[in-house]
Amino acid sequence: MILVIAEQRNGKLNRATWETIAGAQQLAAGADLVVALPGSGVGEAAAELAAAQVKEVVTIESSAIESYTPDGYTAALQQAIAALSPSLVVLPHTYQTRDFAPKLAARMERALVTDVTGFKAAGADTAFVRPMFQGKLTADVVPQGPAPHFVTFQIGAFRADQAAKGAAPAPVRAMSVTVDGSAIRQKPEAPFQEARQAVDLSQAERIVAVGRGIKGQEHMAVAQKLADALGAELAASRPICDAGWLPMERQIGSSGQTVAPKLYVALGISGAIQHVVGMKGSRTIVAVNKDADAPIFEVADYGIAGDLFEIVPAIVAELAK
Amino acid sequence: MERETLEVDVLIVGGGPAGLAAALRLAQLQKEATCEPLAIAVLEKAAEMGQHMLSGAVLDPSSLRQLVPDFEAKGAPLASPVHADRVYFLTETGKIKFPFTPPPLVNHGNYVISLNKFVKWMAGLVEAEGIDVFTGFPGAGLLMDGDAVVGVRTGDRGIDKHGEHKPAFEPGADIRAKVTIFAEGVRGSLTKELHRRLELAKGRQPENFGIGLKELWELPPGRLPAGTVIHSMGYPLRFEEYGGGFIYGLPDNQAAVGFVVGLDYKDPLFDPHAAFQRYKTHPLVKDLLDGGRMVHYGAKALPYGGWYTIPRCYMDGGLIVGDSASLLNSMRLKGIHLAMKSGMLAAETAFDAIRAGDTSAAKLRDYQTKLESSSIRKELYPVRNNHQAFSYGFLPGMMFAGLSLLTGGWWFKPLPGHAGHDEMRKIGDYYGRSGRAVPEGASNAIKPDRKVTFDKLTDVHHSGTRHDEDQPVHLLVHTEVCHTICTEEYGNPCQRFCPANVYEMVVVEGAGRQLQINASNCVHCKTCDIMDPYQVITWVPPEGGGGPQYDGM
Repeated sequence: MILVIAEQRNGKLNRATWETIAGAQQLAAGADLVVALPGSGVGEAAAELAAAQVKEVVTIESSAIESYTPDGYTAALQQAIAALSPSLVVLPHTYQTRDFAPKLAARMERALVTDVTGFKAAGADTAFVRPMFQGKLTADVVPQGPAPHFVTFQIGAFRADQAAKGAAPAPVRAMSVTVDGSAIRQKPEAPFQEARQAVDLSQAERIVAVGRGIKGQEHMAVAQKLADALGAELAASRPICDAGWLPMERQIGSSGQTVAPKLYVALGISGAIQHVVGMKGSRTIVAVNKDADAPIFEVADYGIAGDLFEIVPAIVAELAK
Repeated sequence: MERETLEVDVLIVGGGPAGLAAALRLAQLQKEATCEPLAIAVLEKAAEMGQHMLSGAVLDPSSLRQLVPDFEAKGAPLASPVHADRVYFLTETGKIKFPFTPPPLVNHGNYVISLNKFVKWMAGLVEAEGIDVFTGFPGAGLLMDGDAVVGVRTGDRGIDKHGEHKPAFEPGADIRAKVTIFAEGVRGSLTKELHRRLELAKGRQPENFGIGLKELWELPPGRLPAGTVIHSMGYPLRFEEYGGGFIYGLPDNQAAVGFVVGLDYKDPLFDPHAAFQRYKTHPLVKDLLDGGRMVHYGAKALPYGGWYTIPRCYMDGGLIVGDSASLLNSMRLKGIHLAMKSGMLAAETAFDAIRAGDTSAAKLRDYQTKLESSSIRKELYPVRNNHQAFSYGFLPGMMFAGLSLLTGGWWFKPLPGHAGHDEMRKIGDYYGRSGRAVPEGASNAIKPDRKVTFDKLTDVHHSGTRHDEDQPVHLLVHTEVCHTICTEEYGNPCQRFCPANVYEMVVVEGAGRQLQINASNCVHCKTCDIMDPYQVITWVPPEGGGGPQYDGM
């Protein structure tokens, strides 16, 4: 049986959980799959998980793990895993997992394979694929030693929308564990974010990005019109944000955000590598640039060598039809 | 403000070959003397040891052999012994091989190394001795008592770009030491301050520098055997510029490819990075690199001036070692072994001084005496005039260098030295007189093919440099001359001599041409601090941990 450890905060599921369920379903290939959800008062999130095509959803309830602590989660999950005795435990490779999973695996003296991007199924000898040397190589890792083995799936390795839904909701069962609150050495405080980002470009499905070719702040409206017509977010390369024509949080690239929308339209962006690393994962890239030799055309799926001030209004007019 | 303080016996500022050799030697001395262990601390601005280390590099193992006699057993990462030396003079498309390798460039018995890996290894030895190495902590300010150095203040953390404290603000700590050893590398920011306060260069020739640029390449198998060392002079430089290219074969089909240019060029529109790119278009280099892949980039200034530019390296409570003390042999293109040797000598002096309870300048002067009777003198004194001779041009320089080999460097008197930044001519003087057209951008600009040649931004990306964006700009430009006088006189040469695209003149609506400093691109090479013709740029360390990541370089 494969056990997926779901992640929630304040009853809200982390979306990487669904990616992990999708990956685990492929790995299970029809064998039993159970989702465990640690926390306190997580009934609603459990009901949401029950929509997935799994054998059952088990909530691991204890008031001591209402807020996350590595000690609390390790104690609770150790008991739950012992009771459920899975052959494999799969977790999303989130910050929280990175915090407690090594401790949990070490406590149980079991193998842990982190940051997995795929697998080569072969029963007990299934190899898990993980990047090495900053992604320059990938390694096939076959965990050794007694079960269960622990595996964490990298964010984005599997697609949440491919998680199979069951014909009827899976049964939800509560499992109570006893965690000694006094043995928890960490005292969580209210979570905070240093800088609140008003816009999360990584969630945008379409992005229109502008670069130096836009020339002046007064021309930003040209790009904005296209963004409105496409229902896209407006973003920019570094010089535009440096000049203050768009706020910093809309900067794409190595010193800004990394995005992978379905559609990325690059207007007047030359394609310096610092920008490209932030958007090369986009599904479809459309580039408009005057300079036909601009490096942006090397990553673009559709390229238009021409003046964006002629081309963009034409696209907007066409979209309006 | 409450600052943490730390009291140590010896503080070493900078974890490069000089600083780490000093730390290791101190550990050895106290073991030999079986005395009460000294408290020793090493500060390093990089987040990890070795990350800001950049050199060719060919290592002369003489100092290593003295410091760590069993370096082979201890697993010193010496990539390959040098097997072959070749020296060429390049014309635009042709090459002339020197019939014999000029003696200073004979590398038999030396090793091709990655200085990054070598320093990481040295740091391991230092830490095994129980010495505290503080990575991510730059020396940001001097602690002085009159003319005496009493320690160093580390950099503050958590200051935003407007100078306001961020939530995670942490003030720098005051580290007080009986002896502070400045091992900051070329143009150290604290060393520069010491120069100013204590007139350390009084009676010496002005310091002289070059800039080295380097790319690490992965080549198709079998292209270049490990341990092959190729040096070249000539193209793309003109006779008025000093410098040349290097190619060092490394194991696993890697090669270090680089170019060094004297920071005393005359043409204000000259661009060292463009010269490096042009060098790679020469058939000698291009045939080697074609089909390969550039994997890493870096740039670093180096002290070229030699014997007559070595400053006073001692003061009350302080010593200066390595590149900070201008200890580099520009004829042999080597300084690592001299840096290590100076670190060892400084350690010996500091150890004796602390045991004697006297760390005054009079006592620490022993260090300079040791320098002047050591292998360092034996190496640098005979070539004391050579670099200066090149200021008369390439051919006179070569002739003088050849002659000095025969005479042991004898000449009637010291040849005069000039500060390199003074050599840069104004656009009107340089182009006006000859009637040549003034080029639009760099006079030696090249259109990169993005296979063998690259633009600066692409190279900067491959330096791995990173800085927190929300911090004060660490390149202080103390003037408003940029968009007025400098544009007119020199055409803003900062845009060209900076190898990392830090300086950019942009047109701001309503304000006209303005200098924009892309501080987060900085690779800590110090060239701007050195070459700016008005001497109005001061490089200060950014927040600790920022900077390039020279893995394997």
